[in-house]
Amino acid sequence: MQAADLVEQVPTVARSTTGAEAARVVAEYRLSALVVADDAGDPIAVIPGSQLLAIVLPRWVRDDRRLAKVYDEKGADEMCRRLNDATIGDLIDDDRLTPADAPTVLPEDTLLEIASAMDEHHSPVVLVRDRDRRYHGVVTMSRLLAAIASAAGQDSDLIRRRLEKDIILRGTPEQGGPTRETP
Amino acid sequence: MSVTAVVAVAIFAGAYVLIATEKVNRTAVALVGAAGMVVIGAVRGQDVFFSQDTGIDWNVIFLLLGMMVIVGILRQTGVFEFVAIWAAQRARARPFRTMALLVVITALASALLDNVTTVLLVAPVTLLLCDRLALAPVPFLLAEAMASNIGGTATLIGDPPNIIIASRAGLTFNDFLVHLAPIVLVLVVVFVGLCWLLWGRRLRYDPGRADAVMALTPKETITEPQLLRRMLAILALVLLGFLTHNLTHLEPSLVALLGAGAAVLVSRLPSEDYLAEVEWETLLFFAGLFVMVGSLVRLGVIEDLAGSLTRAIGDNYLLAAQGVLVGSAVLSGVVDNIPYVATMSPLVHDLVGPGAGLSPDKQSLWWALALGADLGGNATAIGASANVVITGIARRSGHPISFWEFTRYGLVVTAVTVGLCVPYVWLRYFVVG
Repeated sequence: MQAADLVEQVPTVARSTTGAEAARVVAEYRLSALVVADDAGDPIAVIPGSQLLAIVLPRWVRDDRRLAKVYDEKGADEMCRRLNDATIGDLIDDDRLTPADAPTVLPEDTLLEIASAMDEHHSPVVLVRDRDRRYHGVVTMSRLLAAIASAAGQDSDLIRRRLEKDIILRGTPEQGGPTRETP
Repeated sequence: MSVTAVVAVAIFAGAYVLIATEKVNRTAVALVGAAGMVVIGAVRGQDVFFSQDTGIDWNVIFLLLGMMVIVGILRQTGVFEFVAIWAAQRARARPFRTMALLVVITALASALLDNVTTVLLVAPVTLLLCDRLALAPVPFLLAEAMASNIGGTATLIGDPPNIIIASRAGLTFNDFLVHLAPIVLVLVVVFVGLCWLLWGRRLRYDPGRADAVMALTPKETITEPQLLRRMLAILALVLLGFLTHNLTHLEPSLVALLGAGAAVLVSRLPSEDYLAEVEWETLLFFAGLFVMVGSLVRLGVIEDLAGSLTRAIGDNYLLAAQGVLVGSAVLSGVVDNIPYVATMSPLVHDLVGPGAGLSPDKQSLWWALALGADLGGNATAIGASANVVITGIARRSGHPISFWEFTRYGLVVTAVTVGLCVPYVWLRYFVVG
């Protein structure tokens, strides 16, 4: 199996997308990373899922974790509402979000090469670009692991569905809201 | 002057320029400089490791190490965050009252702990309070950096230059309390007034925003009350150890190490938690610096310089003390006050001898050096480590403080505080005697 077989389209956000909208997109599609694209839809940054919670944390809480405890429920909710005023571009510029050095693989790259790229860059997503730098989509960690499990002889309906349907088709608001796959 | 001495002076001057310009990591410069002194034969192993005058001053290194470990454990208790928010609530979240209380807390904490740790702890909670109050945090951060430098002047452990002076001059914790704490108390009061003039009168009170501060729950920051009680007890015992030096004859470094050991025992924290607070790079910087300065002492360069100065000063210690005070303040604003004091201490030692038992006019030189070097650090954004830390935190939080913005206020504060020390030194050591 090659990267071209696993490539999928994921929802992307722009630098002008607000933090609140980005949080909604990530939650709706259960993304493991946020892909930031330019106006032409070409990815310019990938923000790993582990960092996404930082969008709600002010710098002083990241410097001193005890300060998260002093907010009451109202104060904490107010901090969340502030995400409507900050764009992803602002958050990146303020260092509250640190884009990963997005790894790129070729469509013909093997599972091992994709796994190596993800491991090296600690990124749950790799971009797939051909030799002309044309963007094809991404390979996500969950789809890569489904392919690895399949190659190792592990088979199930869910594994097959994971390999057949990409994230954007598994559930979109237009299709009646994000769907939850039944185990 | 021998060829070795000339080369040693060249190495020292070169290292000093590199440290002052901050183009190269200061620890690397100090260690390379120390290695250079060893290579040219200016010092031997015996001098480096076993002589306080010509090598590494282990009293200073281990006092710093012990206090770093104690502070590393103390900060795990959340007491600093609690006190800062509690103070803001006591001030009913009125902006200037909050600033004044934060200044007093920072000055007091800096007298008992090191300045850098104090501002590292107080800055994040200040950003939170300013965010709740919808106020620009820069005036608060500037006030805290300067308060830490003023407060740290009061005690032997408050500022690294004081630790060096105490060790070289043989001065005790109580000596610092008696000679420096009174004037620092006056300076803190004056500084609060300066804060009003420089920033406080422009701060606007918004009752709606004040409610947001009053809604904070500071008690939540104290996650381990038992550890807090134990650490406060240990800190009190350590201070008692410093205060009773005349009875116990325990060096401050030993008291700090014993306190650190007790803190490690009672906290049961994993070693990586408290060792993370130890600034190994700073300790290595001190070691390299001591070897470089020690080489000049061993080669007689400092003695020659002191001889020339003694002839120039004659018996006019008043002029010498005021010169050291103002000169140290000016130089400490431009270069790091740690290498400055490390160099000046053996010079003052050769001029007037160890601090204990000196007549007041001669002893004034030691106190002038401490006051000038500590307070001069407020003059510019690079004058003291606390300033560098605060400007770094401000930049990362999206409120950058330019070098000139800091310096504009720093020069005023330095001029006023050092200006008040001039009559203090004159009255205390030459009039009252």
